[in-house]
Amino acid sequence: MNGFGPRASSNAGHPLGQPLGHPLGRRQVLRGLGLTAGLVAVPGLLSACGSDDDGGGANASGDLLVWYWGEQEAAGMKDFFEAQVTQYNAAGTDSAGDVKAVLQESDTLYTAFRTAAEAEDGPDVQFFWGGTQALEDVWMGNVEPLSDHVSKEFLDQLDTDARRETYWDDKQWGMPFYQIGTAWAYNKKMFAQAGLDPEVPPATWDEFIAALTALKSSGVTPLGAGFKDAYLGGWLVSYLGGQNFDSIDDAIAVFRGDTDYSGTKYTEWLDRLKELIDRGFFNDDVLSIDLYQGQQMFETQEAAITNSVQPQIVGFERKMGADTVGVMRTPVYGTGALADFFPAPSQVLTITSFSPRQDRAAKFLEHLHEPAVMKAMYEACGAITPDKNFDPAWLNTEADKTMAQWKETLPNFWYQYYYPFPFERDGVTPGVQQLFQPDGTVEAAVKTMQEAIDKWRREQPAQVKAYQDWQLLS
Amino acid sequence: MSQLAGPARAGRAGNGATPYLWLAPAAVVLLAVFGYPLVRLLLESVTVPGLMGETDHGLENFRSVLADPLLRSAVLNNLRLFLAVPVMTVVAVLLATLLHERIAGWRFYRSIVFVPYVMAIPVVGIIFSYILQRHGLLNEFLETVGLRSLAQDWLGDSQLAIWSVWLVIVWQQFGFGVVLFLARLSSLDPALLEAAKVDRAGWWRRFWHIVLPHLAPIIEFFLTLGLINMLSWVFNYVYVMTNGGPARSTYVTELVIYQQAFRDGLPNLAAAVSVLLLAFATLLLTVQSLVRRRIERMES
Repeated sequence: MNGFGPRASSNAGHPLGQPLGHPLGRRQVLRGLGLTAGLVAVPGLLSACGSDDDGGGANASGDLLVWYWGEQEAAGMKDFFEAQVTQYNAAGTDSAGDVKAVLQESDTLYTAFRTAAEAEDGPDVQFFWGGTQALEDVWMGNVEPLSDHVSKEFLDQLDTDARRETYWDDKQWGMPFYQIGTAWAYNKKMFAQAGLDPEVPPATWDEFIAALTALKSSGVTPLGAGFKDAYLGGWLVSYLGGQNFDSIDDAIAVFRGDTDYSGTKYTEWLDRLKELIDRGFFNDDVLSIDLYQGQQMFETQEAAITNSVQPQIVGFERKMGADTVGVMRTPVYGTGALADFFPAPSQVLTITSFSPRQDRAAKFLEHLHEPAVMKAMYEACGAITPDKNFDPAWLNTEADKTMAQWKETLPNFWYQYYYPFPFERDGVTPGVQQLFQPDGTVEAAVKTMQEAIDKWRREQPAQVKAYQDWQLLS
Repeated sequence: MSQLAGPARAGRAGNGATPYLWLAPAAVVLLAVFGYPLVRLLLESVTVPGLMGETDHGLENFRSVLADPLLRSAVLNNLRLFLAVPVMTVVAVLLATLLHERIAGWRFYRSIVFVPYVMAIPVVGIIFSYILQRHGLLNEFLETVGLRSLAQDWLGDSQLAIWSVWLVIVWQQFGFGVVLFLARLSSLDPALLEAAKVDRAGWWRRFWHIVLPHLAPIIEFFLTLGLINMLSWVFNYVYVMTNGGPARSTYVTELVIYQQAFRDGLPNLAAAVSVLLLAFATLLLTVQSLVRRRIERMES
C-alpha cells in the first residue's frame, strides 16, 4: 500500500539459523532482530491492507453495520432509528443477517469514519452531512455509488434538489436521508412589542434593517447567535452569500477556477453582514458563545430572531406556542435568480466502498424511503424525507407547512453543500470572525477567503479536478 | 594457557552477544511502537494523494505546508506559549520555596496549588471557556467590584484570546512545578539553611545561594518539559476553549495537524507538519542536552 509492507516481508528471507545458547555474532543478532520485527509487523500490515470481505461479495452475511447521526438536530432520531432497525430485523427482510445501528457523535462523525475507511474495516452504511461534505469522501474513494445498487425507479422517486447535492461523475453517491429546511425563527410577541406586524416578517433587506432597528429600540437583542465554535460561518454564507447567483453553477465556478472570489456577485453579502454587525444587531458576546448558546437566546426570549433548522423551529413552536414562534426566510438584497430562495439541504446515508454487503446496504436504504417509514420518522423527530412520495398531508405544525410550501415554489440552494470545507474553515469562518472584531473590514475578509481558495487549490489538486469534472444534475 | 585462552575468548564473545539477545524483545517492542510509526509518518509525508486513491511521491506536501500562512501563525502562537514556561517556573520556584519554609497552613496550600494539575484538561478548558465569556463569571466579578473597565471579551477578541489560553495553561501547569521543586527541596540539608541564618544571611541571599543552585537541575528539567509541552501538548486547551478562533488567532501546530488529518482528510499534509514538529522538538532536546552537558562540566 505504501511500500513498507514488501520491505518488511523481505526480512523474512533471513532466518536466524543459529540454535539458542550458541554464541551469536552481531550480524546474526541484527538479522534476528530484522526477522522478529518483520514477523511482528506483518500481521498488522496485513490486517491494515486487507479487506473485511468474508467471501460473500456484495451480499456477505453477518451484521450490516450502520453508523448514523441526527439526534443532535432532530431530537427523537435515535428512538426512530432503533425502532426501525428492530422492526426490519424482526420482519426478516434481510435473511443474510441483522442490521446494527450505532449513533455517532458530531465531533467524531468524520474522524471515526475516516479511520475506519483507512483500515477498510468499519460501517457498511455511513451517514454524512450532505453535498461536498459527503463528496469529499467520495473523492477519497471511501464511498460506493448508490446508483450501482438501486433501481432507476428508486432514484427517480428521490427529491431532485436533494439528489443534486451528492450527484457527481454521472452517479448518485448519497441517499438523501432527511432534509433540513433552514430559515430564521422569530418571536412574534417581540415583533408586536416593537410595533411590527408579527404575521408579516421582513422580506426585503430594507424591511429587515427597519425591523431590526425597531426591535433594538424596544430593548431586545434583535439577532441571537454564537460563533465561538465556528459553525455560524457556514450558516451566514449560505443564508447570504448566494443571493447574486443565477444558478448553482455560479457557486462552484470559483472552485473550478473560472473566476476569483471577488466582485459584487460573490462578496456583497459581506457588506450586508457588516452592516448588521456595525448597527449592533447581534448579541455582544457572539464570539464567546457557541452556536447552540446563541440559538438558546431565542428560546429564553433574550433575542428576537435566530438562525435555525426545521426540526428545531418545530421544537420552538411546540414549546413556546405557534402564537409566539414564526418562521421567516432570509430577506432579499440580491438580484440573482437565487436571491429569493429557501434552502432545504439534505443529510445523506452512503454505502461504503469497503463494505462486503453493498447490495444488502442498498436494500436497507431503500427501506428507509418506504412511506410508512418516512411517516414514522417525521412523527418521531420532525425530520422530512426528501422523497416525492412523502405526503405533505402528514405535516402537523404551522412551521412545517409554511416551509413545505416554500420548498415547492422557491429555488433550493444551500451554499455550504457546494463549496469545499477548507473554504469555510480557512476562509469564511476566520473572515467573518474578523468582521465581528472592532477593526474588521470587508476587504480583509474577502482577502482571507481568496487565500483560503488559493490554499485549497494548492493543497488539494485532486479536489480541484473533481470540481472541474462536476456536472450538476439538472 | 592456550587451552584456557580458547574458551575464555569464546566466553567473551558469547558475553558480548548475549546482552543483545536479552535486549531483543524490548528492542522489537520499541521498533514496533516507535520505529514503525516513525517510518510510516515519513512515508506518508512524502506521499502525494491524487483522485480516487491514486498517489505520487515527492516533497510537494512540505512545500505546501511551508507556504501556508495558517501554519506560520500557529507556530507563532506556539512560540507565544513558550513565554508561559519561564513564568510558570518562576512562580513555581517561589511558591515551592515559601511552602518549604513551612509557613502556616503549608500542607493545605500545597494541596491547593496541585489541584489544577490533576484536573483533566478538557474539564479545565470547558470551565474557563464559560468563566471567560463576555458575560462570564470573570467579567461579572469585575463589574461587581467596580472594575467594569477591565472587563474584556477574553476569548472573543482576537488580540486577547491566545493570552487567555496562555493564562489558563499557566494556572493549570505551575502546580506540577511546585510539587517537583518541593520534592527536590526535601533533599536539601536543613543545616545549610540554619547555618546561613546563623550567619545572618537574609531570605534572598539564602534563596539565591543555597536554594536556587539546589533546584537548578530540576529547573532545567521543568523548563525543557514545559517547552516541549507548549510545542506539542496544548491541543486540548485550544480545541476546547477556542477551536483556533476567533479569526484563526489561537491556532497551534497540533490543531493544524488534527484538522488536516481528521477533518480535511489530508493525512499526508498532516504528516508533513508532524515531521517538521518532530524535527523542531528534536532540535530543542539537542540544545537541552548540550546545555546540560555544559552545566555538568561547569559543576565538575
